[in-house]
Amino acid sequence: MSHEMIFSWVTFLYFAASVLYLFRLVLPREFWGRAASFCSRTGLVFHTAAIIWRWKESYDLGIGRIPLTNLYESLIFFSWAIVLIYLITELRIKNKSAGVFVVPVAFLAIAYASISSGITSKIEPLIPALQSNWLATHVITCFMGYAAFTVAFGSGILYLLKNALSVKPVFTDRLPDPVLLDALIYRSAALGFIFLTVGIMTGSIWAHYAWGSYWSWDPKETWSLITWLIYAIMLHSQYVRGWRGRKMALFALIGFASMLFTYLGVNYLPGLHSYLKS
Amino acid sequence: MFFLTTTIFDDKFQQTQGENRLPKQAKLLLSFFSSVKLTIVLLVLIVLVFILATFLPQHPDVQELGRKISPAGAEIFLSLRLFDLYHSPLFYILMSLLSLNLITCSVSRFPASLKQFRTSCFPEPPGTFDNIASDHIALLDGEKYAVGKIVESSIRNKCGTFKKTETERGTIFYSERGRFSLFGVYVVHLSILLMIAGAIAGSLFGFEADVNIKEGESVDSVIIAGSKDIRRLDFSVRCDKFTVEFYENGAPKTYRSDLSFIRNNHVEHKGALLVNHPLTFADLRFYQTSYGELPDIKASLTYSIAGRKSAEIFIREGDQFFIPEQKVGVEVLRVEENIMQLGPAVKLKVSAPGKDLQFWIFRHIKEIAAANPGLFSKVPVFNPGLFKPVVFSLEHTEQQYFTGLHIVKDPGVPFVAVSGALMVAGLLIVFFMPHRRIWIRMEHSGTKLVITASGRSSRNQAGWERLITELVQFIREKAT
Repeated sequence: MSHEMIFSWVTFLYFAASVLYLFRLVLPREFWGRAASFCSRTGLVFHTAAIIWRWKESYDLGIGRIPLTNLYESLIFFSWAIVLIYLITELRIKNKSAGVFVVPVAFLAIAYASISSGITSKIEPLIPALQSNWLATHVITCFMGYAAFTVAFGSGILYLLKNALSVKPVFTDRLPDPVLLDALIYRSAALGFIFLTVGIMTGSIWAHYAWGSYWSWDPKETWSLITWLIYAIMLHSQYVRGWRGRKMALFALIGFASMLFTYLGVNYLPGLHSYLKS
Repeated sequence: MFFLTTTIFDDKFQQTQGENRLPKQAKLLLSFFSSVKLTIVLLVLIVLVFILATFLPQHPDVQELGRKISPAGAEIFLSLRLFDLYHSPLFYILMSLLSLNLITCSVSRFPASLKQFRTSCFPEPPGTFDNIASDHIALLDGEKYAVGKIVESSIRNKCGTFKKTETERGTIFYSERGRFSLFGVYVVHLSILLMIAGAIAGSLFGFEADVNIKEGESVDSVIIAGSKDIRRLDFSVRCDKFTVEFYENGAPKTYRSDLSFIRNNHVEHKGALLVNHPLTFADLRFYQTSYGELPDIKASLTYSIAGRKSAEIFIREGDQFFIPEQKVGVEVLRVEENIMQLGPAVKLKVSAPGKDLQFWIFRHIKEIAAANPGLFSKVPVFNPGLFKPVVFSLEHTEQQYFTGLHIVKDPGVPFVAVSGALMVAGLLIVFFMPHRRIWIRMEHSGTKLVITASGRSSRNQAGWERLITELVQFIREKAT
């Protein structure tokens, strides 16, 4: 048995949770919701354990580093952070609806990590540029931000779904109140915004020590700023212009797309962060 | 972008008394620059510039570009500085407008915030107890003193400290938290301005430069990055040693330069420079950025005459040295890390009167000779004792490197660092410490006591309302 094997069970559990959240959306019995939550919680427990195992394994190999240093590990952590932030939200708002659009993202991230042929799961030692104390804080804060944006995205889709359907199927009645969804979008986006701010700053401090400049207009830096600005516009427009509902939901979608491009798309542009190519 | 079409002037703009004295155009201009719509439009434009900049190649080869598109097309792109967007007039204009917008917006709104900050919770703002939802109202039987105590304990429980005032409308309990949160937004805006100031200070008074230094050599001038300008330093930097280590898989493990900083022929500072661990000397920061192998290899040689061993002689290809005992000069013809798969070796030329000898000194000559019996008679040039009575021996060879350093002076860094801290603090205040107020009125209505609660929050009003509902529910349960 290896930690990679546990990651594949976790992938399955997140898939099951996604399907169960979908059942919960369309079927009246609350059983499906409970089962979905159970699957995602169990998945999160195993997921956490496997990350710790991988961490320990790197020490056993004499490498000794936090498992947050390549695309494989970042996808695993992204998936973990999404489920963590989603489950905390689910507990706090006592509503399981958003899971149907949030947990599949976590499933896709972890599935992509293990299925894609271009991504190695080998534990490699760190090259000099990555040997920094700022690595862990930078990666953790950025991905917590990304995860919060994912929750905002899921809630945004739910909002649009509830409002866009002209013929209302029965299940839309069971969706949360638009006011609650609106608050959920705003609060997740604000949480993500703060995490992203700290993430950009820790990255900037790291760049100051590693490259000699706190800002180099590297495409990844620029795109993180684009994402930050999109959410800044979103939060301003809600607070100052009083925009609510549909516009916020659309912003959550645009912001999510920009975040995904910052994370994955930018690697295809030339720059200092392009670890995907190796 | 769906909001670009809307006009900029219909922003809700809070006028303060001072502005009323301004002429009409100035007011219009002020309202234009302080409008949040302008902020949003500017931010959208900046985002578009960024997107363009990441897709257009920045700093491309101009001639190649001329071939790819047309030379005239390249000319247009260049004149607009589209290949250096972050230093283009377009970008500078946008950033100036944004700064102006931030300043006017903050300055014009600040008096209102200050007024709000100074306003006491009591008396409550007009309309506080109008249109109250039924879950914020409790009708209670009971005596005023006892119910008052329940209200007090529950408000203390949920909101902390509170005050109470008797009025002709009944008793008003009120509590407030996070009043300073009103200023969070100004802290964030100030931090952005400070950051822009830091960036400007850095680009005006700082510089970035690169320099390559060979091991054992020193430099006192550097090449400014992105140009051919040379900047002289008032000290020199010597690379004492460069080390590169690799992992088993071939990936680099360590790049390290041992540097000495020399002023007036005096070593003032010595230090090891590693990636992620810059060195600072005389307000310049030094970064390890690259390295390279030098063609010449350093070797150390000894010789012995009748069993007496000489001191080590350090040589490179082309060097000459002298053997005083024999009064002969020796020229180093070649220094090799690995020749003929036999390991490190140097080729020497000894010029004595009447004879010129050229021969090889192998590092592992003992092993080579043992594996090939009769080697020296077959191949005399392999014999390290060919020039009798001197026997040479190659002690070790070493690859020579140069280290590539990046040198930065940026007086803007402290500003940027402070602004980063301010921004995080400001955002935490804005989003997580909202200004929250609650008023609870207790009044008689016939034989009943009516409890009415109302609250305002600068963030997440819905969450605050929920908490108030819980509070009222709590009072209702306790009082019955």
